[in-house]
Amino acid sequence: MRSRKDPWPRSSNPLSWWRDHYRIGKEACHFVSARIGTSLLVWLLVGIALALPAGLFLLQFNLSGMTEGWDGRPGLSVYFKLQADGVDALAAQLRARDEIQLVKVTTQAEALAEFQANTHLADALAGLETNPLPASLRATLVLGTTTAELDLVADFARGAPGVDEVVVEKTWLERVADISRVVNRLGVVLGVLFGIGAVLVTTTSVRLAIEARLDELRVLKLVGASDSQIRRPFLYFGALYGLGGGLVAAMLISLGLVVIETPLTNLLGSFDQDLQLAGFDPRFLAVLLGFGGILGVSGAILAARQRLRSLEI
Amino acid sequence: MGRIEFHHVSRRFDNGFEALKDVSAEFEEGSMTFLTGHSGAGKSTFLRLLLCLDRPSRGQILVNGVNVTQLNPRRLPYYRQHLGAVFQDHHLLGHRTVYENVALPLRVLGMRERDVGRRVRAALSRVGLLEREALLPTTLSTGEQQRVGIARAVVIRPKILLADEPTGNLDPELSRDIMGLFEQFNQVGTTVIIASHDRDLIESLGHRIIELSLGAIVRDTHPVDTHPVDPSIAGLESNAEAG
Repeated sequence: MRSRKDPWPRSSNPLSWWRDHYRIGKEACHFVSARIGTSLLVWLLVGIALALPAGLFLLQFNLSGMTEGWDGRPGLSVYFKLQADGVDALAAQLRARDEIQLVKVTTQAEALAEFQANTHLADALAGLETNPLPASLRATLVLGTTTAELDLVADFARGAPGVDEVVVEKTWLERVADISRVVNRLGVVLGVLFGIGAVLVTTTSVRLAIEARLDELRVLKLVGASDSQIRRPFLYFGALYGLGGGLVAAMLISLGLVVIETPLTNLLGSFDQDLQLAGFDPRFLAVLLGFGGILGVSGAILAARQRLRSLEI
Repeated sequence: MGRIEFHHVSRRFDNGFEALKDVSAEFEEGSMTFLTGHSGAGKSTFLRLLLCLDRPSRGQILVNGVNVTQLNPRRLPYYRQHLGAVFQDHHLLGHRTVYENVALPLRVLGMRERDVGRRVRAALSRVGLLEREALLPTTLSTGEQQRVGIARAVVIRPKILLADEPTGNLDPELSRDIMGLFEQFNQVGTTVIIASHDRDLIESLGHRIIELSLGAIVRDTHPVDTHPVDPSIAGLESNAEAG
């Protein structure tokens, strides 16, 4: 065989590559908008697939934020028997311990006043001969106190005279942390499952787009389009479907936040917490859109690889 | 680039059918050649092999000295970008205008839109369809559709122009017009190979004719002389016709 050096060179003009991307990008936008019904359906499916794991991520992010704020400095509340007189003594003993940062005593009278103020039951309570509320104290531990040290302090308080009940606050925090871990794991599992779902949705949609344009692809191949040029429009479809799906997911999540805002505010209020949802910010949106785009392009690559490999002219 | 050589090219399919049998032929740069023969003679396979849409079972196809049968698949598109191809069924895109159809190869090349417009209009002008550029191909007559196919093939100014039964669906007058267009492109130095079974038409044009039968060349007729390639194969052709 006689050989010569590359008698059919590819275009050396780098602008031609950009021109091709610009043209195909425009065509892809036109294709997606021309089939707006199908596109909306795909966006909704991808959006739902992304919204659930992304929503769970937000929930986990906020739960871990709640426990992080408390981590290492839990406290305990000590409730005394009615008319017990060891309140000040125990408060002094606790203040003397290294693990304790702050001790706040609530006398029976203060407890009653607080109860009356919060419950508007002043008239009913005024009729009682004796104050039914016990004195209590709340001890906050210093940062870095371990669970074992907290248990020691709690045992010490339980042994003090006049103590009726000791409530260790780590219990509900530990529950929140446990829930956070469960939500985290669930988010990962659902993220993988729904991510695969999003990829399959875009794969199917792009595959349908390929089938609808088979004649054009054959002609393109005939006139010398490279495999990457033939594949390119479908990668744009995938990216558009994924980005649109990400946008829909963001809308669904914000809608979900509006729906749960009131009950969540009430729930957190019962734990003396304010609702300060974090994480739903521009960075989260950018990651959501980027992730949607990546999933969309992945689905498109999968579809294009499967179908275009066997394209006969 | 325009010289083509077939060296002992055969194409046998998986079912055992041999579409081409040990075909050898040379086509000079700037020549015009007709491939003729009955259906199944191997004309389309000949052109498909040249377009690298199929690979021969044996033999070499040299284009400008390069064996295109062994081209890396990644380089095939760049080879095809230098060929023009016209088909009987046009391969036009019904949802795109005449202009868009003709512009397709230039856009694949990444040409600037301004240059695309200039080249497309020049090609449409050559085939007499400039005023039809905004129409969809489905609104055109069969002859006009074939002209669009030719415009798309020549818009890249190929050195080699291949056509598979370009007048298959046309009446004699339109067929002659279409062949006249191919002659015009040949006159500017393009190597033209046309597969056609219309013996009367191609013999009237006075160009080289290669006759295929059952995958083998049975006659290679140059404008000035006629000589059967191989008497034994020529006999085979006669038998086939008799059968």
